[in-house]
Amino acid sequence: MSILKVDNLCKNFGGVRAVDGLNFEINQGEIFGLIGPNGSGKSTTINVICGLYQPSEGSIFLEGKKINGLKPNQCVDVGISRTFQNIRLFGDLTVWQNLWVAWRDDKNNQSSWFSNWFGRSETQEKLISELLNFSGLESRANDLASNLSFGEQRRLELARAVASKPKLIFLDEPAAGMNKEEVKELRERIFRLRDLGITIFLVEHVMDLVMNVSNRITVLNFGKAIAEGDPESVQKDKSVQEAYFGQ
Amino acid sequence: MSLYLVTVLTNICLFSFIALSAYLILIVGEVSFGQQAFFGIGAYSLAIFYVYFDLSIIYSIFLGMVICFCLGLLLSLLTIKLSGLYFAMATLAFAEVFRLSMNLVRFPIEKDGRATGLNGPEGFENIRWIFENNIDTLGFFYITLIILTILLFCFFILERSFIMKNARIVGKDLILAQSLGINPRPYRLFFIGTAGGISGLGGALFALASTYIEPAMFGMMLGVHSLAYTIIGGLGLPIGPLLGVFIDIGLLESIRFLSEYRMIIFGGLVAIILIFYPEGIISPRIASRIKRFFFSKGFK
Repeated sequence: MSILKVDNLCKNFGGVRAVDGLNFEINQGEIFGLIGPNGSGKSTTINVICGLYQPSEGSIFLEGKKINGLKPNQCVDVGISRTFQNIRLFGDLTVWQNLWVAWRDDKNNQSSWFSNWFGRSETQEKLISELLNFSGLESRANDLASNLSFGEQRRLELARAVASKPKLIFLDEPAAGMNKEEVKELRERIFRLRDLGITIFLVEHVMDLVMNVSNRITVLNFGKAIAEGDPESVQKDKSVQEAYFGQ
Repeated sequence: MSLYLVTVLTNICLFSFIALSAYLILIVGEVSFGQQAFFGIGAYSLAIFYVYFDLSIIYSIFLGMVICFCLGLLLSLLTIKLSGLYFAMATLAFAEVFRLSMNLVRFPIEKDGRATGLNGPEGFENIRWIFENNIDTLGFFYITLIILTILLFCFFILERSFIMKNARIVGKDLILAQSLGINPRPYRLFFIGTAGGISGLGGALFALASTYIEPAMFGMMLGVHSLAYTIIGGLGLPIGPLLGVFIDIGLLESIRFLSEYRMIIFGGLVAIILIFYPEGIISPRIASRIKRFFFSKGFK
């Protein structure tokens, strides 16, 4: 069953066509990879789907419902969350608080008006400690986010994206600047998220990671999809090799 | 207490209102150079309702607050696409429009044998509520202090709520806040509107205390000071701006003997404070330490 369907998506910036007629479909519970050389429109695609930019043409469907033109906060409401290519955290808040601000109440929650006003509940405490456990940051819960190392900040960002209980997570280069060991841990985390039933949309340059975790991959070049398929077939594709290494 | 001390303390209380209103707007990440206009609108509305329409003092103050709240909402609706410098310019323009138009409005009347009413640059004289009710300086100080305490209590409740949490997030990083599912608009509207209302309340009390208001009182410098209060005091807790007012007015009064050098010394001292406390005295970091000390772990 498809969770996200993108139909003829285009995004123009002035005269530049950053995304040009992109079509793809992501199935429920899948890990979908989007790769391509620098400037090929990967981040723009994420930003358009997450509502940061409006698409110039085309339509986006989440579980059959059209989500074009939704604001980023409305996208969170329908079950989309994301991480950023350049880490975006609240540096002057602690790790715990960074997860706390991202936490969202269930729509049908029964908690009192009082606890809603103060924005806390037991389920919330439990979820946050689970997320701290998931990201391996339990011992740093009270440290300011700005004092974390780069890898830890990436982990915190991932945990925060999960905190809003999404159906679909967009990861924008989660492995950028990570060493081999950290990439391995990240892979484990991505698998754990998939096992929780969350669909993952992965934009990545670290081929080691993408090729190992993705079920399907789409390759972008100059805003156009040039190849699509499982990791092996994409790796063998002539046009992909040309896009990356030249003719 | 000497009369002089009471007057200074009353002034500190009165200007705390405008400081708190600047604080609210800074929390949602904007800088307003227009809070003095709401202060002035509050003062003028009180004077108009009380003198022209003979409304009771409570209604006059309340109506002034409501008008300021609505104008704040209107201002934030009009500037919904603006932020940063452009928002600051728009608020300054709004404030100047108010001040200059008050210079033009003349509608003097006579009441109980005294000249009063709107009279352009000569101002609005004889708002005689404190004389009619025999309230002395100390009494009025207590009134403002009580109202300020009630307001601070409301702030305290607001501070612990999800509203303040989300508003602070919107102020810190708008795009990230949206990506976390927070719609920034209601927070912006509510905070800028409420800031207007609080400033208006302060203005109304100010009009009662001084019994005389003129447009020049609500000029640019009041707006600059309202920001300075918050910047000196820090954005961490609502006590911050109050501390800022205390330092600002207290310092200015205590070096009054320096006469014309007073502002120079004052500017230098503020600069020194900001060198040692760049985020204000009660910065968000110190505030979270205070909260951690007093409250449970939710505010780690």
